[in-house]
Amino acid sequence: MSSKEKKPLQLLQGTLDLIVLRNLATMGPQHAYQIAGRLQQVSGQLLELNQGTLYPALVRLEQHGWIKGAWGKTENNREARFYTITAAGRKALEKETSNWRRMSDLVERLLVEGTRA
Amino acid sequence: MNPSLARFAAKLRNLFTRNHVDAELSREISAHLGFLEEEFLRRGDSPAEARRKARIACGTFETVRQSHRDARSFLWLAQAGQDIRHAFRAMRWSPGFTAAAIVTLALGIGANTAVFSVVDAVLLQPLPYPAPDRIVEFFLSSQGGSTAGTSIPDFRFWLDHAHAVEDISAFDFDQSEIGLTSGVPEEVHGVHVNSGYFRLFGAPFRLGRSLTSSDDNPAGARVVVLSYGLWKRRFAADEHIIGKAVSIDKESYTVVGVTGERFHPQPDAQLWIPFRFDLNSTDQFHSFEVAGRLKPGVTLAQANAQLASIASATQHDRPDPDFRFELRRLRDAMVGDIRPALWLLQGAVTFVLLIACANLANLLLIRMTVRRREFAIRAAIGAGRGRILRQLTAESLLLCACGSALGVALSLLAVPALMALNPGSIPRISETGIGLGLDLRVMGFTLATSLAIGLVFGLLPALSVRRTRIANALLESGSRQGAGVWNRRSRSLVVISEIALSLILLIGASLLIRTLVALNSVNPGFSSRNVVLMTMPLEGRQFTSGASVAAMVRDARDRLAAIPGVEDIAATFSAPYASRMGLSFDSVFNGSTISDDAEWMAVSPQYFRTLQIPVLRGRSFDAQDDSGAPAVVLINQAMAKRYWPGRDPLGQQIEIGKGLGPNFSDRPRRIIGIVADTHDDGLSQPPASTMIIPDAQEPDGMVQLETKFGPLWWIVRTRTATGPLLPAIEAALREAGSGRPVGSVRTMDEVLSRSIARQRFNMVLLSTFAVIALLLAAAGVYGVMAYSVAQRAQEIGVRMALGADRARVQRMILREGLVKGVLGVACGLSAAFFLVRLVAGWLFGVSTRDLFVFLAAPIFLLAVTILAAWIPARRASRLNPVDALRFE
Repeated sequence: MSSKEKKPLQLLQGTLDLIVLRNLATMGPQHAYQIAGRLQQVSGQLLELNQGTLYPALVRLEQHGWIKGAWGKTENNREARFYTITAAGRKALEKETSNWRRMSDLVERLLVEGTRA
Repeated sequence: MNPSLARFAAKLRNLFTRNHVDAELSREISAHLGFLEEEFLRRGDSPAEARRKARIACGTFETVRQSHRDARSFLWLAQAGQDIRHAFRAMRWSPGFTAAAIVTLALGIGANTAVFSVVDAVLLQPLPYPAPDRIVEFFLSSQGGSTAGTSIPDFRFWLDHAHAVEDISAFDFDQSEIGLTSGVPEEVHGVHVNSGYFRLFGAPFRLGRSLTSSDDNPAGARVVVLSYGLWKRRFAADEHIIGKAVSIDKESYTVVGVTGERFHPQPDAQLWIPFRFDLNSTDQFHSFEVAGRLKPGVTLAQANAQLASIASATQHDRPDPDFRFELRRLRDAMVGDIRPALWLLQGAVTFVLLIACANLANLLLIRMTVRRREFAIRAAIGAGRGRILRQLTAESLLLCACGSALGVALSLLAVPALMALNPGSIPRISETGIGLGLDLRVMGFTLATSLAIGLVFGLLPALSVRRTRIANALLESGSRQGAGVWNRRSRSLVVISEIALSLILLIGASLLIRTLVALNSVNPGFSSRNVVLMTMPLEGRQFTSGASVAAMVRDARDRLAAIPGVEDIAATFSAPYASRMGLSFDSVFNGSTISDDAEWMAVSPQYFRTLQIPVLRGRSFDAQDDSGAPAVVLINQAMAKRYWPGRDPLGQQIEIGKGLGPNFSDRPRRIIGIVADTHDDGLSQPPASTMIIPDAQEPDGMVQLETKFGPLWWIVRTRTATGPLLPAIEAALREAGSGRPVGSVRTMDEVLSRSIARQRFNMVLLSTFAVIALLLAAAGVYGVMAYSVAQRAQEIGVRMALGADRARVQRMILREGLVKGVLGVACGLSAAFFLVRLVAGWLFGVSTRDLFVFLAAPIFLLAVTILAAWIPARRASRLNPVDALRFE
């Protein structure tokens, strides 16, 4: 299963999951395009999101049972798949968020220490 | 549900609902496109432009879909399916290559599977008895070797003192011919046993009971145990047979038991009769074997130590100081000297496999260079190296799977042929090949072999892919990049090792062929033409003296005289190639005592005339040498030369079997003649010193022993072919034997041929391997040279355009082949020089360094190499330079 490892966004993979979950948790049900747009908006175009990464992330999250997708209509009467975060997803989000915080804290501390030395 | 488990389950679902998922995905992507399009429209693009931009922004539809698939499914499984489909397609593209590869593999794997199934049946499978590794056999060892032959005093000693072993049982060495004389007389295979036998081997009983210690009593009733097979065939599976009487060798025996269907006795038998030893006997006749079971917790070494210490403590010893008792595992004892032989054959057949692999490697390497462009294109359109590697592996695994399937089929045909070469002389395999088969171990062996080959040779060409730079491969024109140095060198190396390996096999096979020729040219010392042998069991109360046997033989002779075409008839218990007794003898000559052991036999007076063995000095036996006449003996030339060198033994007295016990007590005998030597123990064995007495003078004790342990052999010579006379001869003999059956009818030529069956077996096997190896090597040389010529067509064209003539081109190609041949022969010769030691024990009449073989085999192999190179060389020389240059 080599193709996953080869992706340049590998480091972001876990992060992307986290962001998507967070997004769904705060904004309610959204379709993929909305999620992508919102990500680009929030990141101030810093994060060039490839659709090729977002869809697999959604599939992965759904396979984990953390989100649930259902077909519906947008205001413009377009067909789209709306994703909702599940209870398990919320739990996972909580856990992953604290993990991330601990991790980034640690990295930050290490970086600071590095400048001091 | 655990998240990773949930994901796994989802993937598993996707495996079966791929289409649904794909449709879902398409739907989602088109939705996504819609959104994009809408946005571009909003920004003011024309509808067509918006659609175009949306598509670009979305990325390639297929890439997205693919990455979804990867996330949703077991990627490798989907790809493996693809790989296999692809491999099938690749096989269809080049049927020639595929056929060559599959046949090569099938030969290698088939030969290996066939030999391994024999190795498995004989050496690896456990004996079919409970706790088989605890069954041990008693041996008597001394400097001269060791024997499982046991006498009653030794048996008694073990029963009393071998405390580490239980269920100690005696049984016949081999099947004895026993006459079933109720109804139609028939000779059946029977074995004498004592009561512990069935317990030791865990025999199941279908009916009745096993033997008990009361059945061992010499004065007890005569009882018999029938095998399932005999009970079914001969007694119509009579459920009420227990307690009924059957007539065996004209005596009445009571049936006490019938063994279960699944009992595979050793030695094979149709019925069992108790020995009924007198355990107080001092008889030194070593005529049966003894086995027992190690007691729980006792190791073989401990049991041996216990036996040694008790033997020295109780002074149960022989004059020979090196003499000792020894326990061996029954399986090791049974397998004996065939173990190294089988492993050697397995080694030889591994060489064949190696050569097959070498050919396969060559084929794949050649093919790889041809397909380099294909792989470059694959790489260019995005196949990772891992993917290409997997595809190659899939292709070679598929080839191996086909090759092994064909190989297994070949081995199923080969194994019966193998067994037919050597009927009954391989331990643990019955004459019909029962015990052989494709069990799990054999299948595992084949599977592991082909898997290993598939993986190794799938990856080998991949190594050359690694070096391919895509651009280079694509730029180079179609066919010529194969001439890369690495590839050329590795192909040559492969061919050289093939030649070396086949030379080793060829030398081994040639040595064995010479051995067989030498054996066939040995004069056995008697004439086998129109001579037929038959057996007749004489056990029982009717024949207890030499005189009674001699009278019966005389009667038979009179009856046969009435059959026109019968020339002569003789009888003995010790026919050539049947077992023979060795007895001690003492003689006083010029004041010094000669005392040693020699082979011994009692024959009817016509023995020498029937077999046409010349009497060199003195006279043969005649009718006057009966029980009342002075005791006489003939000796063979080997004995005369050994014990009376340069003297005349005629008229000397010898005393046979002195001190061996009452059964052997004999009068002193006068030597009345010397007969020519015969190779009675096998053509490869030098004639042994032999003493021969007339049957009428055989001591009664000896007659009783001989009738017990073997049948009487009738030896009949006819004037014309024996076949048509057989029914009349058998009928006459049955009458003379008062209704005893006549069995084991064989011509003397057959007996001689069987006596070298083992050598023939080895020879045929090794020769077959050598021939396969030779063919494969020749194919290898041819393939490489032909490929090289095809690759170099342009170069050759240039050479010819520049003035090289045809002969020169031909020489160039031939030289290339010859260099490989010479290098291979050099390697093979030096390896063979050391490896021939392994077959030293199989050789007769030829030395391991036989000059002829060591010269002829390399020359022959070189000739084959040149021939294989000559065909492409000729093709090269016939090239039209213009065509060759235009080739691309």
